[in-house]
Amino acid sequence: MPGVQLVGLTKHYRRGSEIIKALDGVTLDIDKGEFVAVVGRSGSGKTTLLDLLGLLLKPTAGRLIIDDVETTRLSDRERAHMRAHKVGFVFQEYNLLSGLNVLENVMLPLRYVKNGSAGKQHAIELIDRVGLSDRIKHRPAELSGGQMQRVAIARSMVNGPSLILLDEPTGAVDTETAQQLVELLKRLNREDRVTIVVVTHDTDIAAQAKRQIRLKDGNVLSDERIEQPALA
Amino acid sequence: MESFRNIWRHKLRSTLTISGIVIGVWALTTLGAFAENFNALLDGGVKYFGSSIQIGPPDGQSAPILPISKIDEIKQVQGVAAAFPGYTFPAKPGQLSFSIGVADTIVASDPAEAAWGAIRLSYAQGHAIGTASQGEVVLGTTIAKEFKKQAGDSIDLPVKPPDAKSDFVNHSFKVVGVLNQTRTAPDNFAYINLADGQMLLKDSLPASLQSSIDVTKITLGIAAYAKRGTSLAELDQTADRINAQVAGVKAIKPSILVGAFKQFGTFFTGITTVAAVIALVVGLLSVINTMFMAVAERVREIGLKKAVGATTANIMGEFLVESTFIGLLGGLIGYGLGVLVVVVRNIFFPAADGSTLFLITPTLTAIAIGFAAVVGAVAGVLPAWRAARLDPVIALRNE
Repeated sequence: MPGVQLVGLTKHYRRGSEIIKALDGVTLDIDKGEFVAVVGRSGSGKTTLLDLLGLLLKPTAGRLIIDDVETTRLSDRERAHMRAHKVGFVFQEYNLLSGLNVLENVMLPLRYVKNGSAGKQHAIELIDRVGLSDRIKHRPAELSGGQMQRVAIARSMVNGPSLILLDEPTGAVDTETAQQLVELLKRLNREDRVTIVVVTHDTDIAAQAKRQIRLKDGNVLSDERIEQPALA
Repeated sequence: MESFRNIWRHKLRSTLTISGIVIGVWALTTLGAFAENFNALLDGGVKYFGSSIQIGPPDGQSAPILPISKIDEIKQVQGVAAAFPGYTFPAKPGQLSFSIGVADTIVASDPAEAAWGAIRLSYAQGHAIGTASQGEVVLGTTIAKEFKKQAGDSIDLPVKPPDAKSDFVNHSFKVVGVLNQTRTAPDNFAYINLADGQMLLKDSLPASLQSSIDVTKITLGIAAYAKRGTSLAELDQTADRINAQVAGVKAIKPSILVGAFKQFGTFFTGITTVAAVIALVVGLLSVINTMFMAVAERVREIGLKKAVGATTANIMGEFLVESTFIGLLGGLIGYGLGVLVVVVRNIFFPAADGSTLFLITPTLTAIAIGFAAVVGAVAGVLPAWRAARLDPVIALRNE
């Protein structure tokens, strides 16, 4: 059963008189609980696809359905509501707020949902699950890159989203830390049945996903399902 | 809490910005307290002159005296319920001093007039002067403080100037009462009875005239009263009737006096308000600048918040709370400094005449702090709008 459906999803930009086709009529389904890697060269449309899936961008044409909600006709406020409840983001540069400690950073999305303060215990549990219980009061400046990305992952899950989007999540950490992060994502995907879409240049990371979508010039070049015995 | 952290994160910049508001609110508080004190004085004038008709000599008559018999004629005029003679003399003749407000004055009046006046007098010490008893005085709070007198003391009135000539005449009065503070003219008044007023009037006449003028037959002015609750317009009509029916007097329409007091009050309040508002506008521009800088510094943070579900209203609200907090903090500090100036002035540097110069009122407190918060909020609107309208995709990838 698809959790996310893209139907002819298109995003064109105008640069002067030139039309840039960042995404050009992409149609695909992503099932609930899938772990999808989106790969491709720079400019292939990976980030645009991620921004569209995260409702940060409005498509030029086509439809995007998340959890049976047709999102392309939603108002800005409704899109923000969807982001708060259905989508979690993880960025390459972590994007943690330097003035907040680990717990406060993880709880940030709770500010924008009703009764968010009730989610504090869940935030503490998530911090424990990502292995940072002993760093809960630390500020980002006191953490390593891998630890900051773990905080970002916990933050992306705090509202119980059905879809987590990761933009080059291992781009700023060493190989060993990257593998630890991927193991963490795989575990969360397995335990929480949350759909994960990760955009990456790293072929080692992409190879560990259940499905690999390769983009080129805004189109799907290939869409392969990968046997992952460890995840089965 | 996060607003406080954001302000605390840039201590120097925040301090400078808040200082702008502090200076503005400090100016608003001190100038406002000055205006409040003065307006309280003017309000007393509005009350008094809005409830009585002041009658003096007709235009063109240079001597400010009236036959006391005119009182009976005035009482016959429709709308007049009571009329009283009055004598006023400078309490400190020949002394030049700068004073904001009413100069110390000896007021001789009929004790019965107190029942008609709009300003209710109450006693901090002692009691009212008796109708028949002479040589008694009731002092207003300021004049009592100035001469350090209390009930039971005696005071020589008028006060002898340091350079008085040998023929200067004054009399010893027993202080039988001290009034509670009214914050208007009676604070500077020394009340004596009519007979003593006539005695002082006689003293003030040239020696050659003293024996030929019967001071019991003249008065320096007459105050006429209508029954309680009479409107200003009706009092004006009564004044017109007095002028039409009683020869040799000039009744001033109460609305003219009230209008003059109000006009002066408005003018004075306007000047102080404009001065304070100019200071606050400087603070406002400072807050606007700071908030724009804050938005520029936190573009990625704004993008992140939008990505995790913040709406345009959420982002606007956060920046508005921060700018309002800056305004409020500046307001509280500025107000505190203003109150400190007032207290220090009143306690450590009191005026020689015992008068107060500043008056902190609940209204002023609410205006000073509330205005600062509003300035902060207004200053935050444009930066907050800019923050809220940021494209999250661009904001998230901002370097």
